[in-house]
Amino acid sequence: MRRYEMMVILDPSLDERTVQPSLDQFLAVVRNDGGSVEKVDVWGRRKLAYDIAKKAEGIYAVVDLTAEPATVKELDRQLNLNEGILRTKVMRPELH
Amino acid sequence: MAKPAVRKPKKKVCLFCHDKISYVDYKDTGLLRKFISDRGKIRARRVTGNCTQHQRDVATAIKNAREMALLPYTSTAR
Repeated sequence: MRRYEMMVILDPSLDERTVQPSLDQFLAVVRNDGGSVEKVDVWGRRKLAYDIAKKAEGIYAVVDLTAEPATVKELDRQLNLNEGILRTKVMRPELH
Repeated sequence: MAKPAVRKPKKKVCLFCHDKISYVDYKDTGLLRKFISDRGKIRARRVTGNCTQHQRDVATAIKNAREMALLPYTSTAR
């Protein structure tokens, strides 16, 4: 098990209130595989430094979780398949 | 006879060593903005005064922040 920090940029046309439940849906894969989600921090709408998929804004969310490497890989894959997600980034904070 | 200009540059102390910050967070854009120019370029070590290790950490953090559109790759300020 390893600690991960995942940052997600979601489509700004989504409702900010629906972000938390829809993220939880994705994070179910972590819980099912024996991992745990420590914190889900939704930053809310924020201006992007440059356009991503012709959008000038994005909804940012940061998730702290503990899981197996394979689980995180699967989570990342599923997130990237979703149309409402512009970008993801997985980091391991203790490596630095 | 022109006097040779004697420059005594003030020795800069690395901000991170001074504050004892070990992890440079890519999410802290306010801090990272101090280390980029108004065009979005990463400032050189001789300008920032960072130590070798922390300059490297800052550069990596800035690059990570750029990937997530927190900081610009380029900004056309002029």
